[in-house]
Amino acid sequence: MEIDIKHIAKLARLRIEDDEMEEVQKKMLSVLEMVENLPEITGKSSGLDRENPMELRKDEVKPSMRRDLILANAPETRSGCLLVPKTVEVE
Amino acid sequence: MELYKLSAAELAKMLREGKCTSTQILDSIYERIDAVEDKVEAFVTITKEQAYAKAKEIDEKFARGEKLHPLAGIPIAIKDNICTKDVLTTCSSKMLYNFVPPYDATVMQKLNDCGAILVGKTNMDEFAMGSSTETSYFKKTKNPRGLDRVPGGSSGGSAAAVAAGEAPISLGSDTGGSIRQPASFCGVVGLKPTYGAVSRYGLVAFASSLDQIGPFGRTVEDVAMLFSAICGRDPMDATSSKHEHEDVMAALNGDVKGLRIGIPAEYFGDGIDAEVKESVMAAVKKLEEQGAIVKEISLPSTKYALPAYYIIASAEASSNLARFDGVKYGYRAKEFTDLTDMYERTRSEGFGEEVKRRIMLGTFVLSSGYYDAYYNRAKLLQRQIADEFAKGFEECDIMITPTSPSTAFKFGANSSDPVKMYAADICTINVNIAGLPGISVPCGVGADGMPIGMQMIGPKFSEATLLRTAANYEKICGGFGSVADLD
Amino acid sequence: MDYEIVVGLEVHAELNTQTKIYCSCKNSFGSEVNSNCCPVCTGMPGSLPVLNEKVVDYAIRMGHALGCKINNVCKQDRKNYFYPDLPKAYQISQYDVPLCEHGHLDIIMDEEGNTKSIGVTRIHIEEDAGKLLHSDRFAGSLVDLNRCGVPLIEIVSEPDIRSSKEAKSYLDGIRAILGYLDISDCKMQEGSIRCDVNVSVRPKGSDTFGTRVEMKNVNSFSAAERAIDYEAARQIAVLEKGGVVLQETRRWDDVHGVNEVLRSKEDAQDYRYFPDPDLLTIVVDEEHVEELRRSIPELPVHRLQRYLKDYGLPYFDSNLLVENVDKAEFFEKTAALGAAPKSVTNWLLGDVTKVLNEKNCLLSDTKLTPEKLAEMIALIDKKEISNNAGKTVLDEIIFSDKTPAQVVEEKGLRQISDSSFLEKVADEVLAANPKAVEDYKKGKTNVVGFLVGQCMRASKGQGNPTTLREIMEKKLAAL
Repeated sequence: MEIDIKHIAKLARLRIEDDEMEEVQKKMLSVLEMVENLPEITGKSSGLDRENPMELRKDEVKPSMRRDLILANAPETRSGCLLVPKTVEVE
Repeated sequence: MELYKLSAAELAKMLREGKCTSTQILDSIYERIDAVEDKVEAFVTITKEQAYAKAKEIDEKFARGEKLHPLAGIPIAIKDNICTKDVLTTCSSKMLYNFVPPYDATVMQKLNDCGAILVGKTNMDEFAMGSSTETSYFKKTKNPRGLDRVPGGSSGGSAAAVAAGEAPISLGSDTGGSIRQPASFCGVVGLKPTYGAVSRYGLVAFASSLDQIGPFGRTVEDVAMLFSAICGRDPMDATSSKHEHEDVMAALNGDVKGLRIGIPAEYFGDGIDAEVKESVMAAVKKLEEQGAIVKEISLPSTKYALPAYYIIASAEASSNLARFDGVKYGYRAKEFTDLTDMYERTRSEGFGEEVKRRIMLGTFVLSSGYYDAYYNRAKLLQRQIADEFAKGFEECDIMITPTSPSTAFKFGANSSDPVKMYAADICTINVNIAGLPGISVPCGVGADGMPIGMQMIGPKFSEATLLRTAANYEKICGGFGSVADLD
Repeated sequence: MDYEIVVGLEVHAELNTQTKIYCSCKNSFGSEVNSNCCPVCTGMPGSLPVLNEKVVDYAIRMGHALGCKINNVCKQDRKNYFYPDLPKAYQISQYDVPLCEHGHLDIIMDEEGNTKSIGVTRIHIEEDAGKLLHSDRFAGSLVDLNRCGVPLIEIVSEPDIRSSKEAKSYLDGIRAILGYLDISDCKMQEGSIRCDVNVSVRPKGSDTFGTRVEMKNVNSFSAAERAIDYEAARQIAVLEKGGVVLQETRRWDDVHGVNEVLRSKEDAQDYRYFPDPDLLTIVVDEEHVEELRRSIPELPVHRLQRYLKDYGLPYFDSNLLVENVDKAEFFEKTAALGAAPKSVTNWLLGDVTKVLNEKNCLLSDTKLTPEKLAEMIALIDKKEISNNAGKTVLDEIIFSDKTPAQVVEEKGLRQISDSSFLEKVADEVLAANPKAVEDYKKGKTNVVGFLVGQCMRASKGQGNPTTLREIMEKKLAAL
């Protein structure tokens, strides 16, 4: 098997230099090899568990956190906002 | 008196009898830390100032005769992936080297309410990914029972701190064995509670469906006391359970007569060191002598747990760790050309190799075209493993296995080969996969002088039974609880 | 060649719950930047989502209104992608098991009230992202996280829409229902309702679909109409020139009325959906699902058809009445008290609406009741007050507890039809306006209106204008 390391790295927003590609490929494959030994199981995991339902929250307002605390750890802020490199203007 | 050598329960008793103050306990703890921390390196952050301020408050309350929680005035160390308000919380990663949470994790809130005193934040494998604490960005924690050995991981700092007498109790987190394995390596007691028993709110997520916070101590009683302080439903964590836990402190007094102990053959196979198997079986024998009934059982799907675990845990991690992007908190690359470049440089420079490897793996198994072959298959196997455990528990009340295939290994022994490193988790991973509680207690010493751990596994919410059995075994042994000699 | 346009719409509507979808922060628009935030909605390490029960209720109600099957056992999934307005780097949404699916919306096709059914594929719940603010004054973009975690429902239609006009009807229909259920503020300017548009074209008569183009950044319903027309024309032009339409995502620029490529099929995002492990299975009690079904009011389209048929109202009026559930119910209650439907409609859509617009308020904010309006209309019908006096009465009763009869008494608005009195008034007016009389004699017959107006003034508005006109015309003719 061959993994498209470049593509996966792009999805994960990681930079992998060309000279690292082979090593990364090798280590990932060694882990995936364990998986190759898994038995063939047919079926689809529905992800639903009716027996274990989730308790929902009441729609009641509680105080928000102060803005200075929300932003205290941000690398860069401006005018009460986080500052990031320019983005394309699309919602 | 060397207060640092005492258990939390003993200290609690002395505080109530007026034989010592919380401040004096801290004096002893910080003296011990000063004396041994250079060798052990269990902590990322020491919170001496806040600790003394809190101890003063507690001492005043005791002086006024207020009735306080048993943990009031007791020092505790907390793993550095549990958010502590105004105290650095790094996950031992460069990515969060400067992160100071503006809020407390629910467990921290509960401990604060009890009056427990945070002495410091403990070192760990970066983002809890590892079994040796070697992947920490900051330092290598040493095993206090043998300084050339790893303390285990990922909660290596929390286990080492307790073993070294730097704190009587601590909290860790366990995703695939990260409490039980270091407990085993460091010769202390570590409990991984049932999934949902303890709130995860404020625990920096690695694999959300497997992570669980749990206690370390040098005695079973301390572990029970800490567990009962932190467990329970939390409205901030949708996965926390409403289950009403029975009084685990009262349960400690029970015996093991008629307790059915299952010994799953699959956990005593070729990959497990002979001395480990022998120690564990000798311990089982002692429980049998106390009236427990021992039977062989089989869990044939055990072998699928490791690959299933690495798929599920990596997939969840790839998503959980995506938020570390240099925008809201933590590390941001110094130089970049645009937004994407900022993301990529920040994440590549901020994360260590093991973390990046798992993010890549997780991203791959979720990516278009591979989901069914990997993630879906792993989830189906998870179901199969959980069902098999449930069936197994029709035949027995608890299961006993080794905690780790070997005693603590030397630094660098496994770190270059991920598969070999992952295999160290073979005995503990199933418990997380099935969402069950597990406890590791010391049950002997290997030829290398390092501790061996025994793991007890129970059905969901059977913490009381596990702690009762562990307490009985502790009594048979005449106690586990010694602080490592580091002079 | 003749082409057919095929359109599918994805409408995102913000729900007007008190709190956000996964935390207890206030769900409100227009607050100071980053002031409605907490560790959960800003994606701080360690924080966890807890689902708001009202979000589920609101979505199920919308599902019922659109005749959907309700999946009362469902889950939430993570949609993973990086963007600065998405603090967790994943959006919690629903992937393979949405809360509602297989519904439809009937849209009105003509003035007779005939309808066409547009399939609704699914409705799911998800969280909104934050807002990016741009300015030329600095080199980067600013991120405001207030909108993060605002609850959304996404309503996805089948590709059943065949023109921009149908699209507009569909969108208006969705908006009206959201308003009827009072689950969304539907304020386009505030972005509380937005849509993505999928457009393809095919030769008329073909039963296979053409290549689909998705358009983003369509920020109003009228923009949707323009965007569809533009894109359909663009695709047809491509095909006419012998080209192929490429599967891509394009960005609509409403200011310039054009769109441009945002990303091609090759760059399609891989969102790596998987079930969110922080959230367990949503299980809604079947009894509760039924209870929500019973809470659904009669919907606009059905109401409109009834107004055309039962009240004989024109399409235009009916359409305006049913736009708003309060207005529609007010209308029906007033008509039920005996007032002529057309009169009620005229008042509601005319003067009442004018006052509401002036005061920028809703019918429910006023003290006007169907009883009061019906009483006022009865007074006019009985000719006890003039239509004009009615306007005065309305101004008085709309924000007070007074009844129309009280106002008529207090203001002396009762209409006088007694001809001897009115003749006297006419004579006085003629005597006082010799110039107008002269003009009339020279053939300027339009002075009649002026003179009747003077009579109304002289009678303090109480003279019956119709009778006055008759008297005045008779007197002038006799000169």
